[in-house]
Amino acid sequence: MAIRVNPSYIDILDKFGAEDVQLCYQCGDCSTVCSHADDAFKFPRKSMRQLQMGLEEKIETSLEPWLCYYCGQCSEQCPRDADPGETMMSLRRWLISRYDITGIAAQFFKSRANEIVTVISIAILTGVYLVFYGISGGSLQVYDGEGAFLPSSFIHVFDLIIGGIMFLFLWLGALRMWYFTMVKGMSIKVPWWLYFQKLYEVPLHFLTQKRYAECEDNDKKKIHMPWLIHFGLAMGYTFMIVIIMLFIEPFQAGPEIRWSLHIFGYLATIGLLSGCIYFISHRIRKSSYVQYKKTHSTDWMFVIMLLIIVVSGILQHIFHRIGLLEWANITYVIHLMTVVPWFLRMPFSKWAHLAYRPLAMYFAAIQKAAFARQEKLVDSLSVTIK
Amino acid sequence: MRTGVFFCQLDDQWKIDIDAIAKYSANLPDVEAVLNLGVKPQLKADTLSDRIKSGNLDRIVIAGDMPGYYKPVFTKAMAITGGNVDEVRLASFQEHGAKNGKTLDRAKAIVACAAIGVPFSLAAVPGGNPVNHATLVIGAGIAGIQASLEIANAGKQVYLVEQTGTIGGHMAMFDKTFPTLDCAACILTPKMVDVGQHDMINLMTMSKVVSIGGKPGSYRVKIKHKARRVDIDSCVACGLCVDACPIKVESEFDAGISFHRSIYIPFPQAVPNAYLIDEESCRYVTTNGEKCGNCIKKCPKDCIHLDEEDKISDIEVGNIILATGYELLDVGKIEQYGYGKYPNVLTSLEFERLTNASGSTGGRIVTKVKKQNRKTKEESWVFSEEGLPPRSVAIIHCVGSRNKKYNAYCSRVCCMYSLKFAHLIKEKIPNVNVYEFYIDMRAFGKGYEEFAERIKEEGTFVIRGHSASVDMKNDQMIVRGEDIFNDRLVEFDVDMVVLAVGLIPTAGNEELSRMLGVKRDSDGWFSELDYNGNPTDTDRGGIYVAGMCQAPKDIPDTVAQASAVAAGVLGSLTSGKGIGNLSSLSLSDIETKAKTIHML
Repeated sequence: MAIRVNPSYIDILDKFGAEDVQLCYQCGDCSTVCSHADDAFKFPRKSMRQLQMGLEEKIETSLEPWLCYYCGQCSEQCPRDADPGETMMSLRRWLISRYDITGIAAQFFKSRANEIVTVISIAILTGVYLVFYGISGGSLQVYDGEGAFLPSSFIHVFDLIIGGIMFLFLWLGALRMWYFTMVKGMSIKVPWWLYFQKLYEVPLHFLTQKRYAECEDNDKKKIHMPWLIHFGLAMGYTFMIVIIMLFIEPFQAGPEIRWSLHIFGYLATIGLLSGCIYFISHRIRKSSYVQYKKTHSTDWMFVIMLLIIVVSGILQHIFHRIGLLEWANITYVIHLMTVVPWFLRMPFSKWAHLAYRPLAMYFAAIQKAAFARQEKLVDSLSVTIK
Repeated sequence: MRTGVFFCQLDDQWKIDIDAIAKYSANLPDVEAVLNLGVKPQLKADTLSDRIKSGNLDRIVIAGDMPGYYKPVFTKAMAITGGNVDEVRLASFQEHGAKNGKTLDRAKAIVACAAIGVPFSLAAVPGGNPVNHATLVIGAGIAGIQASLEIANAGKQVYLVEQTGTIGGHMAMFDKTFPTLDCAACILTPKMVDVGQHDMINLMTMSKVVSIGGKPGSYRVKIKHKARRVDIDSCVACGLCVDACPIKVESEFDAGISFHRSIYIPFPQAVPNAYLIDEESCRYVTTNGEKCGNCIKKCPKDCIHLDEEDKISDIEVGNIILATGYELLDVGKIEQYGYGKYPNVLTSLEFERLTNASGSTGGRIVTKVKKQNRKTKEESWVFSEEGLPPRSVAIIHCVGSRNKKYNAYCSRVCCMYSLKFAHLIKEKIPNVNVYEFYIDMRAFGKGYEEFAERIKEEGTFVIRGHSASVDMKNDQMIVRGEDIFNDRLVEFDVDMVVLAVGLIPTAGNEELSRMLGVKRDSDGWFSELDYNGNPTDTDRGGIYVAGMCQAPKDIPDTVAQASAVAAGVLGSLTSGKGIGNLSSLSLSDIETKAKTIHML
């Protein structure tokens, strides 16, 4: 099959952050130091090459960018300063925009203004709607139960709708990812039962993020901070989603603390908050870790929104417990004004990593198994070459 | 003659400070008006003629980069005013070499000549100074040796200054040359002997240039001679002193892989063929003569003078040739290759000495063995005759070269000597696996590509893909790399790793360049006057560059450049002028000359 070359592909990716890829002279040092590259998935060099050559379709159907956790070792020793780590990150940004059918992700990644305007408008719309709803049915002095400003039963439905929209786009994206990588990009047929055999990979990687831990340089430190933070953030995020989607009504009720439920909320908050602080401090210092030296505009958006959500969530919780109900309601509105655009933005932003990366691990395992099977089949054919 | 100087330029490529030149030209005799018209002015003959009329000008100088573009409009203006159109003169900066940093003074001189009405090329004739017929050559590697011999064979005096105890430089350390696989010593040692015996060559080993004064044609040079502490003339290199010496030091000539005593000869064919004392380790010297002195008692010729002191001598020379060569990059700072951490990771020079028949293992390629010092009980890894030959060797190209963190440039010789290593290993060890990791194969010379093909045919695994990691697992070295052409990641167990380390200028170059006023480029190599046209001259008259000190190059190119330098030097001696070039002339030189011509 002929491969179509897109000569302007490198320019497109430039907007997604891969600014130095043309410097690469293909020495292969990056693939050598990468702890995730293996015989089935060789990167970053090969991906860099495909990008340089404009093989858009090859990249579109590849899983390699998702297998990279951006430890930065490749960029650290790159003789050309071509920054393979950032290139892989940019490819992931581009893939997210490729999986997304609406084209919103691409706009967000390419233009900071578009993103900010969209996010702020959604926030304002949400705020207006919530205030309007609150005034029409309740009082600012009541936080929960009868006549509350934002009753938890309403929030429950509200959350489910917003969450539903988010998951709809995420699943559409996942479906496209599956089509690109497992159907369009596969030269051989994948037996259906492999999908079941390897299914454990999804929760395994989602819950442990263990491949990120493999990135660590074992000589240097015992505990790999970036992994720990990453893990805490992902866990906190998951816990919080489960709580607000399913248990919002007992969660919002108060003022007494229900330890059986709230303990999870506190743990999640610790994970999210420490992640936030860690990211911000490293991005400001731009030191210590290669990946923080380059900051894409969407990266800032991510940490700032997360910080607002976490801080307003904490304040609202405190205000509610100490009886400042008006303030609790106000911070609640601010909280939701950030949460709604955050959720709606998720399938179109870097956060989609959370879903796509475990999926990629899963697909990669299937592909490996399928190729191994194919090889066995070929070997078993008795062909003698003389 | 009333003169007006008009500055107008087509572009501002060289960023010339026009205001400074305008100030200067206003003070020139007869200059009445100076006007800066800027870059790319739109000129009209009418307005110009008004200016000429108002200034009552008889001569117009148009100064700038490519001022000829504006000559027609000025000629027309001159014609309108009724003046002599032949007195519209050009002062073209670019044409007469006011570019590349030496702009300002040159530009002033160009304007001065035009204003006085003398063609620049008539006024700015370099040379004419009486030339001292002696030549100083700094560095006695193959470049210095070749240039010295060429000049000396033409009957001219040469002072050859060398920092170490012997001439020969790096080439004397090599085993074979690429791509012909000739024995390096067989080419070099006859030349070395020639140098040692030549009547016209004054060889000064263990010497250093400490200061240089004077001007092109007659440089006064101060040279410091470090005490050799052995009389060259009477020493017959019998070697009896060595047995008496209790101190052992790493051999510089053997790239640190073997040891010699404090009194030693760098290698048997050294020129001058005499022993010398390593004053940093000699017990007699370090204790100020209180201890030891065993060698003096053993010497049958009484030629060891441990109390000898450094001397300084002054010489006068007409030309100076720089041939200071190169050094290897400190590969210890590139951690991923494990140099210094794993015993059998070698630099290219170490391997060169290992495989050399005159080396410590007699040319056997072996891995290091662990040896215990009898006194201190310290264990160290050394090469010895008992070592086992490696079963597999990895050769890694571009270590520190073409790398933005170390040397951005290509060191030019590594690809070829690495291929040569592969051949030597294959030749000396049966059933050995040799892996070459390269980024791009730079086989650019005559017979080089064929050599590369030959090495592949000999069964060396030539892998397109650089390796960035050398690891040790269970006492087995592992080299990882990406085999890009075969699309796979490879991991080989190897017993020896040879690093093709990048080349850097010698440390002394900085001091020399300051003393001589010769520029160096951003990488530290001496700058030639013009890369294409004058690759052997520097921008200081009477100072030339030969060999590696200008830029990395292989032996054939070095020898060719050294001979070319000799031709330049001899040319200046026979003609008595042409010392250097235009830039050796100062602004006042040119000005005075122009005025003299004008008076005539």
